[in-house]
Amino acid sequence: MTPQSFVTVYKEWDIVGARQIAREMAKELGFNVVDQARIATAVSELARNIYLYAKEGQIHYEVVETMNKKGLCVRAVDTGPGIKDISLVMQDGYSTSGGLGAGLPGVKRLMDEFDIQTKVGEGTTITTTKWVRL
Amino acid sequence: MESRFTRIVVENSNTIVQMWIKEIDSLKEVNYTATISDSLYDSTNREFAEVIFTSIRNQGSTNAVEEFSGKIIKLGWPLSYITDGLQAFRRVTTDFILSQSEKVDTDYFSNVLSSVNHWIEPIIRQLVNDYTGSWENILSLQRVALQELSAPLIPVIDGITIMPLIGTIDTERAKLIMEGLLQGVIKHNSEVVLIDITGVPVVDTMVAHHLIQAAEAVRLIGAKCILVGIRPEIAQTIVKLGIDLSDFATKSSLKKGFTSALEITNRTIVDLESKEEKVEKLIHLLQGE
Amino acid sequence: MPIPILKLHNYLLISIQTEIDDQTAIEFQEDLLDKIHKTGASGVVIDLTSVDIIDSFIAKVLGDVVAMSDLMGAKVVLTGIQPAVAMTLIELGIHLQNILTALDLEQGLIKLHQELGV
Ligand SMILES: Nc1ncnc2c1ncn2[C@@H]1O[C@H](COP(=O)(O)OP(=O)(O)O)[C@@H](O)[C@H]1O
Ligand SMILES: [Mg+2]
Repeated sequence: MTPQSFVTVYKEWDIVGARQIAREMAKELGFNVVDQARIATAVSELARNIYLYAKEGQIHYEVVETMNKKGLCVRAVDTGPGIKDISLVMQDGYSTSGGLGAGLPGVKRLMDEFDIQTKVGEGTTITTTKWVRL
Repeated sequence: MESRFTRIVVENSNTIVQMWIKEIDSLKEVNYTATISDSLYDSTNREFAEVIFTSIRNQGSTNAVEEFSGKIIKLGWPLSYITDGLQAFRRVTTDFILSQSEKVDTDYFSNVLSSVNHWIEPIIRQLVNDYTGSWENILSLQRVALQELSAPLIPVIDGITIMPLIGTIDTERAKLIMEGLLQGVIKHNSEVVLIDITGVPVVDTMVAHHLIQAAEAVRLIGAKCILVGIRPEIAQTIVKLGIDLSDFATKSSLKKGFTSALEITNRTIVDLESKEEKVEKLIHLLQGE
Repeated sequence: MPIPILKLHNYLLISIQTEIDDQTAIEFQEDLLDKIHKTGASGVVIDLTSVDIIDSFIAKVLGDVVAMSDLMGAKVVLTGIQPAVAMTLIELGIHLQNILTALDLEQGLIKLHQELGV
């Protein structure tokens, strides 16, 4: 498996594909079963948000390695409508689509690092990383 | 210049080793355990000397050094045995080379010092590296052992499991505890788990939050969680902090928790013979004598 | 591929064996309500032993199914939720409150029995 790859999300079924790749990579990197589930679920949330709110985008996967740790970095990129109020969408239960509103705040809890870059009318990039627990 | 010093030292290795051994013998009493036998101490010293000379001759071969450090680590001798030994070697050798030279000026003196340092330093570096490597190893082993110890799961009877928690709970540990808890519930096919927090010194909002999450996860996989061992001061902090444990089954003691776990699993404890009956029998027996 | 729904006396048994995509989840919801209506089943066990991911969407569908079945007079028990899935759900902030659970299918049936007081 290449250390960096991506999938395009524009059909509903792509959400399943995106999270399956995430789980595979997480497994290969040595994440335990619970962390594999955390990562796959986080990717599922990000991919679904792309599908629901931006129509199309990509999920990028990258193996990151520093001197003393190893992890998986996932980046969800779209050129959709962007997010007006980040602190609002990060609240548990906030949803504009009748969803549970658990996606973004949930991803933040499931992963170790989390960052949103967004601009209304231009799109959203969410970067999130999980480190292998030693 | 350095090769000349090397020749002096190698040619006189016997004398130097003897001087060195005398020097470190005096260290034994002060520093190391009396449990090390004289013969082991002697043979190890000789080996140490051999390693140092091999390294000088080969200008820093690390194989012999590595093997030696491995052995010392296995013997469990302190790092100071090695550093003291090398310091003594530095002193002895410097003195020896200087005693062999007719004219000694500051330049010459600093040349001798730098040559000797040049021999010793790679050995020290290697040995200290090996030592810290093994410490890190031990540390990580201890960490794993601690993690396993930190949340044992005890299947007391069919369907009922107890997890006694001891010590401080941080986020990292809480996750491990939860994983262990859930895996254990599945493994032992438990209907009820009792989490005993008697041994948890402080229950703040963070700890309470983790406990609530654990209980909810247990419910999701299909079992029931009872929090037991709630001491008065913990009950006070929980209420004062405004933590809501109302959805959470709690009991003050493990005993009470166990009784309610028995109820949940449709069981009761029956004494096969009551105390009174036992006493009666005893009296009967005594009277019969 | 639709998720098969089995009938056992007045219970319905479902064991989800495949990775659930959104479409399948929605279709399942409709199928189940339909089956409850047709059979008049009083209890449903949904076994999730083989499911290794439940995200917020699938969780919502499951929660909705339980609430809707309840409205139609059928109690639902979810069984076999994997530890990793349970932890992930909790961290997502999804608690599936007021939902009956059991360790496996067999205990799920026992639970239904108790709940329905048969
Ligand atoms: N990629 C995105 N582009 C635009 N808006 C988004 C994006 N992702 C999330 N949002 C907004 O953030 C809200 C919260 O998202 P989330 O936490 O996943 O909950 P939900 O998807 O259930 O609504 C969404 O309802 C949507 O308005
Ligand atoms: Mg979402």
